[in-house]
Amino acid sequence: MTMLSRVADRLFWMARYLERAEDTARLVHAYTHLVMDIPKGSEPGWDILVRILDAEVKFAEHYRVYNEHNVMKFLIADKDNVGGILSAIHAARENVRTTRDVLPGEIWETVNELYLYAQEHAEKCIGRRNRYQFLETVIARCQMISGMVISTLPRGHAYRFIKLGHLMERADMTTRVIDVGAAALLGDERHRSTVDPLIWASLLKALSAIGAYRREIGPQVEASAMVNFVLREDTLPRSIKFCLNGIRKELMPLNNNQDALRLVNKARRKLSLFDPQTRSREELHTFIDQFQLLLWHIYRCIDHTWFMTDQK
Amino acid sequence: MLSCGDSSNLKLARPLRDASRPPYKSVMMNTGWKSYDAGSFFDELITGAGQPRVAARRVVKLLQSLSDKELADRRAAAELAIREMGISFTIYSEGKNIDRAWPFDIIPRVIPARDWARVSLGLAQRSRALNCFIDDIYNKQKILAAGIVPDDIVLDSGNYKLPCVGVSPRYGAWAHICGTDLVRDRNGKFYVLEDNLRVPSGVSYMLENREITKRVLPELFENYSIQPVDDYPSRLHSTLASLSPRALRRPCIVVLTPGIYNSAYFEHAFLAQRMGAELVEGSDLFVGEDDIVYMRTVDGPIRVDVVYRRIDDDFLDPEVFREDSALGVPGIMRAWKAGHVAIANAPGAGVADDKVVYAFVPQMIRFYLNEKPLLASVKTYLCVNKRDRDYVLANLDKLVVKPANESGGYGLMVGPHSSKAKRAEFARLIEQNPRNYIAQPTLALSTAPTYIDSTVEPRHLDLRPFILQGKETWVTPGGLTRVALTKGSLVVNSSQGGGSKDTWIVEGTR
Repeated sequence: MTMLSRVADRLFWMARYLERAEDTARLVHAYTHLVMDIPKGSEPGWDILVRILDAEVKFAEHYRVYNEHNVMKFLIADKDNVGGILSAIHAARENVRTTRDVLPGEIWETVNELYLYAQEHAEKCIGRRNRYQFLETVIARCQMISGMVISTLPRGHAYRFIKLGHLMERADMTTRVIDVGAAALLGDERHRSTVDPLIWASLLKALSAIGAYRREIGPQVEASAMVNFVLREDTLPRSIKFCLNGIRKELMPLNNNQDALRLVNKARRKLSLFDPQTRSREELHTFIDQFQLLLWHIYRCIDHTWFMTDQK
Repeated sequence: MLSCGDSSNLKLARPLRDASRPPYKSVMMNTGWKSYDAGSFFDELITGAGQPRVAARRVVKLLQSLSDKELADRRAAAELAIREMGISFTIYSEGKNIDRAWPFDIIPRVIPARDWARVSLGLAQRSRALNCFIDDIYNKQKILAAGIVPDDIVLDSGNYKLPCVGVSPRYGAWAHICGTDLVRDRNGKFYVLEDNLRVPSGVSYMLENREITKRVLPELFENYSIQPVDDYPSRLHSTLASLSPRALRRPCIVVLTPGIYNSAYFEHAFLAQRMGAELVEGSDLFVGEDDIVYMRTVDGPIRVDVVYRRIDDDFLDPEVFREDSALGVPGIMRAWKAGHVAIANAPGAGVADDKVVYAFVPQMIRFYLNEKPLLASVKTYLCVNKRDRDYVLANLDKLVVKPANESGGYGLMVGPHSSKAKRAEFARLIEQNPRNYIAQPTLALSTAPTYIDSTVEPRHLDLRPFILQGKETWVTPGGLTRVALTKGSLVVNSSQGGGSKDTWIVEGTR
């Protein structure tokens, strides 16, 4: 059974938006937690979250001050911010709404329920008191949808393009999570020894990877080991390596996959050549920027090869 | 036939006990039914004497036995189910598309199977005759030659499509999916109000209504034998597959939708999914140099055999009909005429979907099938005829005047509910363009108990069954019941504030 290009496109974006909602929720959750742990005066600002998501321009359209309330409103409840949780969920729902004929009914119902939940609660959960509850519910429901995809969707094109969207977004978001560590601490030499481990540990928590890290590397969270783990540990589902391998696997059975595969292999090579142990923080930050660009090229290639509707 | 387990009939045989029971109106636990009175209308569930009809007895009894709180819970459960199942329809208003939750009343409408069997035969007969008529009009025009239907009524109609002349779709079937609107009069007799042969909608709501009722009133399904409606999508699939130009085990069937902003988009997606067909928009399809329809897929172009289109003729092919249509598929008419693709409903089928042509359906049944019409039509005055027109103009306050060619309840005038100015306006419209207007007596539409806030009140309703016409004819058991939620209103369209009810055809009751 084949699939309409338009439908493949929408499924890909449904998955991207759901992953975006989940990962943003994870990031905000971990960051909120982190801020409470760090001694007053040395905590990094809320602007970092907006910066690493490359959303400064969008933010400036509606807000002036980078305080907790504004940043949280922007990332959780803003209807105009396509990187925000509420609008990502809304976009995911619109994509499912127009492709529900190829998905099991429960997936539409669950996405729709998630949307109704977010719509009703997002605005009320900007403050710290209700924030955790909201973020945890969003994360749990997104995982429930991923679980439904894994356990009910036949391994055909629908599954493949959902998987591709999901891994592309996750790879991108993982680079951004690392960037919190890299960018946040750039040039800030104060309190490095006390604050650093807290930040890296909280980022591992955002990736649900702290337990795995402890078992593989040890209890002490250290910057370059953490970055290496999250970039290149191929058994860790949120590592870049894992995502790239998954993308490659899903591309394999598709027609006309040569260009996309070439780009993915290029990214894999680039990743294997980057050794965090020998690089500075500035170099890490630059590497991440370049890598995000490469991911964008992979996306453009997927879009061009399978989604564009100019066949004849 | 009396079935053994039918306790309601056994009770009828014990009048003593019945007589000793308190009168009907005082047994109820909840307050909603206290003052229910359908007046002089035929009520679907309650007799003129205020007793539940035999077939509806258990439904009414259950609903009456629920406390106000339980009832409110059930209605809330129905609303929740509708929201969670995402059952919606879209209305376009104030420049915005609004996705509204489907308006549903939990009290089902109950029709005994025996009554329905006759209606069902009548609908099948009508569908066969209408298809004969369309096929005849685009080919030999025997019915015009015989002088049974006047030429100009058909040939001057905007629904008569010249590009369709000379085409003979398989089985002579043009209107493969027909939604016929039925109403009942003061005596409960069924009448056909109109035949929707273009892109009738509503069938998904018929299916979803049953789904909701199963969730909300599950105990009723234990004692009733209700004819299932679930197999509609597979029937539709077989009908469509039988039209495929290629003899394949699984021909490629697509549902062509105008897109997400169409009011029936929900239904298009629903049917595609239930049939395992692709839901496509115009831009997903193209016609090659070889006059074959293809869809654009991740594996490259794939040939399409059957298009179940849910867009109007006018937008179907910008090469043939409206040039500005962005919804259609350029060249699809070429492919259809070359026999490379089947289109359902066939382009041009709307020629029989016209309120003037409606008046001639009984003659068509006699002419093509040599049978007696089984279903009554409503007496129709054709304003194009001088005698009818004079009568209509003299009796505007008693009649319903309808444009020949509108759907969705737009542009009509209900005489008894109209103002003097409105009647004057319609008199002018009729004189200007008599061909475009017909008039019918105002029917005393039947009612059924409907929840309005926390009480139960009679509301007028109609019924839209669906008839499939391919190699064989098939009629849905029941159909979509639409109910006018405004007191006294006869307009049931969901775009104009109508609601809906689950419709049960029940066995073993009279």
